Amino acid sequence: MKLTQTHIENLYEFTRKHFVYHYDVQTELVDHLANDIEEIWLENPHLSFEDARDKSFKKFGIFGFMDVIEAKQKQMNKRYWNIQLRFVKEWFTMPKLLTTILIFFGIYSLLQIKYSEFYIIGALLIAVLFEMMYLYKDRKAQKQKAEKKEKIFLLEEIIGQTKGGVVSIGFVNIFNSVRFTKIEFSSLESHWLILIAFCTTVLIILFYVTSYVIPSKSKELLQETYPEYKMVKNV
Amino acid sequence: MGNQKLYKGSLQTIILQLLASNEKMYGYEITQKVKELTKGELNITEGALYPALHKLEADGLLDVEVANVGNRLRKYYKLTENGSKETANKVSEMQEFLRTMQHLVNPKFSLE
Repeated sequence: MKLTQTHIENLYEFTRKHFVYHYDVQTELVDHLANDIEEIWLENPHLSFEDARDKSFKKFGIFGFMDVIEAKQKQMNKRYWNIQLRFVKEWFTMPKLLTTILIFFGIYSLLQIKYSEFYIIGALLIAVLFEMMYLYKDRKAQKQKAEKKEKIFLLEEIIGQTKGGVVSIGFVNIFNSVRFTKIEFSSLESHWLILIAFCTTVLIILFYVTSYVIPSKSKELLQETYPEYKMVKNV
Repeated sequence: MGNQKLYKGSLQTIILQLLASNEKMYGYEITQKVKELTKGELNITEGALYPALHKLEADGLLDVEVANVGNRLRKYYKLTENGSKETANKVSEMQEFLRTMQHLVNPKFSLE
């Protein structure tokens, strides 16, 4: 006996109930359960769909789908990190390298101005405010998607989350360290200023890449990662 | 059924070797194939198989392909170029391991 479309939909719902929220992970598990249920029915054709499904699910062990979710998350984080690196590297090759050098010298010159730490705090505050606004809009859109039960891919969520996470944690940390260490940058020796300017430049690029570049290219990145993306989103 | 723990460390090698001789396979097919080849001696659990597949994919050893099979989508795994090289390494490591174990557990009747 073969599974019907209703059975397949039931299996998607079943994985969601067992904490698998992403379509890519669900799809693989649904196919696995479906194959196993069909196999179980060959041996025991009178078993109900629900009983066969539960029998199959038990084979995943006491943690259910947890190990699978965890491994998938690790794999996707690694993939996301490689994507980040790919885009950050662009800023250290021509022609973007010129902009990077410009940012570096801009920060280096700013650090030499007396009371530059106050300018930095001011700039960070403005940046945090803007980020909060974007973040709020983003979370709202994500929530709406989840409510509509739209098919959300794991990488899609990582792209959205990292945008919020890296930016807010990064900015708040820089803000606090500038605020509490009370270092007067203009009094530091030049090799320290070069180091601080270089690190800040890399951070700014990383913020820009995770917050704007990657989200704007998310469709292409998702298509590149998931062969099924085109099929299910009809793009 | 033998001691499953003894097989645990060899899961990746088993998957890679299967894919080397079958071009592309999906998760469920792998579990069934292993069961068939070992006459039920080795039973790869679902909770171990998928994490291993995802790890191999993250390491760039496997590539994926998705096909529409009737009313559902199926994800196939196949070896990448690096995956093929790594399979050869892992299999020879495994053979070396088996030889060493043979010497250890049965020193009088060595294979060599």
